Amino acid sequence: MKYNVVNTHVHNIDGVAKVTGRATYTFDVKVPGMLYGKILRSPHAHAKILNIDTSAAVALKGVKAVVTGKDTLGIKQGIWRRYEELCDEQILPMEKVRYIGEPVAAVAAVTEEIAEEALDLIEVEYETLPGVYDPMEAIKKGAPQVHDGVERNINVTRHIEWGDVEEAFEESDYVREDWFRCSGQAHMCMETRCAVASYTPEGKLTVWTSTQAPYYHQALLAGVLGLRESDVRVIAKFVGGGFGGKFELDAAQFCSSVLSMKLSKPVKIVFTREEDFIASKRRTPMYYYVRTGVKNDGTFMARETRVFTDGGAYTGMGATALYLTGFFHSFPYKWAGYRYDGFRVYTNTLQSSSMRGFGAPQAAFCSELQIDLIARELGLDRIEIRRKNGHTPNYEVPGQATIASCGLRECLDEIEKWIESRGELAPNRGIGISSYGFMSGGIFNWFDTPYSFSSAVVTINFDGKVDLHIGAQDIGQGSNTTMAIICAEELGVRMEDIRVHSGDTDECPPDLGAWGSRQTLMAGNATKMAAAEAKKQLLEFAAAQMGPNIVYDLDIKDRWVHLIGRPERGLDYFDVVKSALRGKAGQRIVGRGYYTPHRKGMISPAYSYGVQALEIEVDPKTGKIDLINCVTAHDCGQPINPIGLTGQLEGAISMAAGYGMLEDQPMEDGQIMNPNLVDYKIIRAPDMPETEVIDVETYEPEGPFGAKEAGEGLTNPTAAALANALLDAMGVAVKTLPITPDKVLNALREKEEGKKE
Amino acid sequence: MEKHILRITINEEDYELFINPKTLLVEVIRDLVGLTGTKRGCESSSCGACTVILDGMTVKSCSVLAMQADGLEVTTVEGLEKDGELQPIQKAFLDHGSYQCGFCTSGMLMSSTALLAESPNCTVEEIKEGIDGNLCRCTGYNSIVRAVDAVAGGKYREDKE
Amino acid sequence: MIHDFNYLAPTTLKEALDLLSQYKDDCKVICGGQSLLIILRQRLLVTEYLLDIKRLNELNYVNFDPTEGLRIGAVTSHRAIEKSDLIKEKYRVLADMETKLATIQTRNWGTIGGNLAHGDAAGDPAPVLMTLGAGVKVGNAEKERIIPLDEFYVDLFDTALEEDELLLEVQVPAPPPRMGAVYEKFNLLASDQGIVAVAVSVTLNDDSTCKDARIALGNAASIAIRAKEAEQMLVGQKFDEDLFEKVGETAAENCDPVSDIHASEDYRRHLVKTLTNRMVKRAWDQAAA
Repeated sequence: MKYNVVNTHVHNIDGVAKVTGRATYTFDVKVPGMLYGKILRSPHAHAKILNIDTSAAVALKGVKAVVTGKDTLGIKQGIWRRYEELCDEQILPMEKVRYIGEPVAAVAAVTEEIAEEALDLIEVEYETLPGVYDPMEAIKKGAPQVHDGVERNINVTRHIEWGDVEEAFEESDYVREDWFRCSGQAHMCMETRCAVASYTPEGKLTVWTSTQAPYYHQALLAGVLGLRESDVRVIAKFVGGGFGGKFELDAAQFCSSVLSMKLSKPVKIVFTREEDFIASKRRTPMYYYVRTGVKNDGTFMARETRVFTDGGAYTGMGATALYLTGFFHSFPYKWAGYRYDGFRVYTNTLQSSSMRGFGAPQAAFCSELQIDLIARELGLDRIEIRRKNGHTPNYEVPGQATIASCGLRECLDEIEKWIESRGELAPNRGIGISSYGFMSGGIFNWFDTPYSFSSAVVTINFDGKVDLHIGAQDIGQGSNTTMAIICAEELGVRMEDIRVHSGDTDECPPDLGAWGSRQTLMAGNATKMAAAEAKKQLLEFAAAQMGPNIVYDLDIKDRWVHLIGRPERGLDYFDVVKSALRGKAGQRIVGRGYYTPHRKGMISPAYSYGVQALEIEVDPKTGKIDLINCVTAHDCGQPINPIGLTGQLEGAISMAAGYGMLEDQPMEDGQIMNPNLVDYKIIRAPDMPETEVIDVETYEPEGPFGAKEAGEGLTNPTAAALANALLDAMGVAVKTLPITPDKVLNALREKEEGKKE
Repeated sequence: MEKHILRITINEEDYELFINPKTLLVEVIRDLVGLTGTKRGCESSSCGACTVILDGMTVKSCSVLAMQADGLEVTTVEGLEKDGELQPIQKAFLDHGSYQCGFCTSGMLMSSTALLAESPNCTVEEIKEGIDGNLCRCTGYNSIVRAVDAVAGGKYREDKE
Repeated sequence: MIHDFNYLAPTTLKEALDLLSQYKDDCKVICGGQSLLIILRQRLLVTEYLLDIKRLNELNYVNFDPTEGLRIGAVTSHRAIEKSDLIKEKYRVLADMETKLATIQTRNWGTIGGNLAHGDAAGDPAPVLMTLGAGVKVGNAEKERIIPLDEFYVDLFDTALEEDELLLEVQVPAPPPRMGAVYEKFNLLASDQGIVAVAVSVTLNDDSTCKDARIALGNAASIAIRAKEAEQMLVGQKFDEDLFEKVGETAAENCDPVSDIHASEDYRRHLVKTLTNRMVKRAWDQAAA
């Protein structure tokens, strides 16, 4: 389909601000009378708090307030609001600390330096407790209990099953089982967590914060502070990255709010990079056991998977990650019998939660590597085995979800073509592939919101300029631009006619925010509906003016209001707007839109698909891997913003390749050993491979203009493709992440020794 | 501890400031002069978000004592445009979508500007090396490389004239 | 936050040395500050006086004399060394090493003197300079002395500099004919510190046997070290890949690498072995060409 605005080359609407230094972030916010806050953190992984003496800190010149858990309502909060037992975190704990770095007190002072000095003057008496740092240790009888009443530290369990698994195994010709270990990962947003909270005597709290979901923070803060939700205003300035780490309540927001409420003065808290590493959230590390049965011709029969995740000290979004990993571990293939049992385990470590991919990159790593191992054992072609078993349009994942659009097959075809075009590879090189499927937003309402999941308001001014108010949050992924595109296309105007308003709970409608790949589909649908509503009103006036034969419909394209089928007959959009407004007693034209998925199962309203091929070169003497080429064929339905799409893909590759081979958070007794950017390694410009995107266009009926997500699903395949590339290049499989040179070397050595025997 | 007078030119404006000598250049730029386009993203001089041009070369302003810039000229991202007219590199960033969250963008622009000034016909390899000191978590860098490459290839030459 | 200090900014070397002899240990010297500022910001170091020598242009030079060799002033930036036509022509390996040192921003402001005086075992210049037979000229208000770089490092971050001395100049002997010198470091990312690093220089006799060989290792011990036993295996020998492999093994056996989150001791030794083997061969090829 050819559109006027959708899928055309448009500048990001926030671009000029960002390339001229005008874009301000929470990091830059400065308000009159602002104080600076700092947080005192626990040096112990597990300890009772016996006493906190803040008197010396309070007495320090320049210190205005010091707060601890005693100064709060002591409410245990969590983002899974619907389930009380999963709301397990007092951000300033009252009784005990459960991870190194957990906040225990916060200070507000006239300068950052004084606030820091004051931290040294706070005396905390701890009674250390034995800690547990690995989920497999934590589930043992007699292991230290991280939370009271949670047996064997098993925090959440999930079970997914369909078909007759036992029978499917019996019908299999070949059965294989493997253990895998997937690491965590830090979000490492360029802008660390930060907030400026300002409470005023009339009882209103304004919080500027770097957030993916202003509405969530509004509601969560109101909950823990005992305020009316609408008396809390959350403002997101420009946001320096989120990646899943900035939609739960964090200590910057909470502590600055508590301090501000005490003083009725603005308080700013900015996490240092070290704090951001040790005391925010991380990707969930997982232990995977996978047993798979197939027929000799490669037909997938049965899969039985058990996963233990390292949940860390609190739940947060970890409950979702536990579910999604098990669900997407079956993707994108048809299984006669499938069973997944997931166990989320508390440990005395940094809580693991949501990070781009949300359990699916881990799931893909384990699934896709095993599939390649199976294909090699049976002498089957790796593309063909995937083609044979892949999802197809309108497939129903039994009892779970209905796939509508699915371009997996075409993606496999494209990748197969590309691999063939590479011909014979240079020595020590290999190509690995991985398929994936991913959701476009989640359906399950664990937040327990009464609001539509997404809402939008379109207001047309006298001069034809359109104000689009959305709750969707731009965190760099370009949702402001995407919504503007959808609005412009639907309304029939140009990008320059749209002005987007987002990031302010006082001004914008509620929206669940930017996570789970939901915004293009959900906020996009809301925007499209609002624009259609406004357009309808304009068309009423146009029809009245033009008086066409009743059989004709009207539409607007590129500022031209016309008869469909007789486009030469029409009126200028600007003229119609003027007369419509006058005709409505001088009221601007307003259209409202909203979207909540209905009757689409309990997981997602739509699924994107893709296949990625990664070409690598291995140095067999050192084990080092260089990334050469990365080609991704993907189906996101109808691409809306092609430049944004390429950006999402290339960014996803850098993050996912980092997950596959570089990034890790080694711990010693719960202490993260590399909380800085020297020791925590992320991919830089010279390390990126050549990248290519191949769009496979499908049409998703549930999405605006047929669109689905693109950005999170794209992080799923790379670690898997890397493992498979290594398998292709050197014939060895590394089953733990990250795939570092020493692991490659060890695998090569073992292979050599195996040959000698 | 004695305070010192710092005389510094930032984006062609002269400033005279009375500072604690431990003040970092980035603190002068952001906190004292109020130019917040330059960012900070770490404490270990690793991320490059604070990159500015000092005395004609890129430096990480978080790792330069402000007093060492006494009498010298600094250019920050705010100093790139001239009376609202964007530089070719800024236009190239817009055309290629070479930013997402934008937090690293100022640093990327300064590193790119310095690179193009030194090597107007830089190769892709040189571009990647030129921004090696700037971390980006969003874009995967390739769109930034394409933008600089377009400028190096003369795509915006007419704009300059 | 950095702890307060009194700031001293001498305009001449003499002034700087006088101040240093006055304040001695109460005084810390800053040049480019690319290492020091991180330490100060983390409060790992507190100092009463900070002596800033970045403006001492009299120590900013790159000079060459065919007999004396190369003289680089301590305040010369890494970038100046990297871009120096003279150095690219006469001591290519130094320019190559500088391209691998951190990133451009750091090289623009950081200096060779500051780097060498810092004494990081993973520092790039020291091993390379050791294989070139370099020394440093240091001095205080009274006198100057030359210290061979091999003897300059005492322990991690601990050099032979007295509390009233400044590192003034790097001295590299004139390159002999038929010398090849190379440097390689192993890291996961291009701009990282080396997990280990190996510098090799090989000088050949007219009959293509090895006249002299030097192997220096970075981040394979608490200081940059020479692999002397491995070096000796090459002297008088002809090009022999099996020998080079044994040389690598010997170098690996005789170093003292740590185990940390980036690499185990075993893996570091393996890398020393592999890199030494490769670099000896590469240096030899270069010398023979």
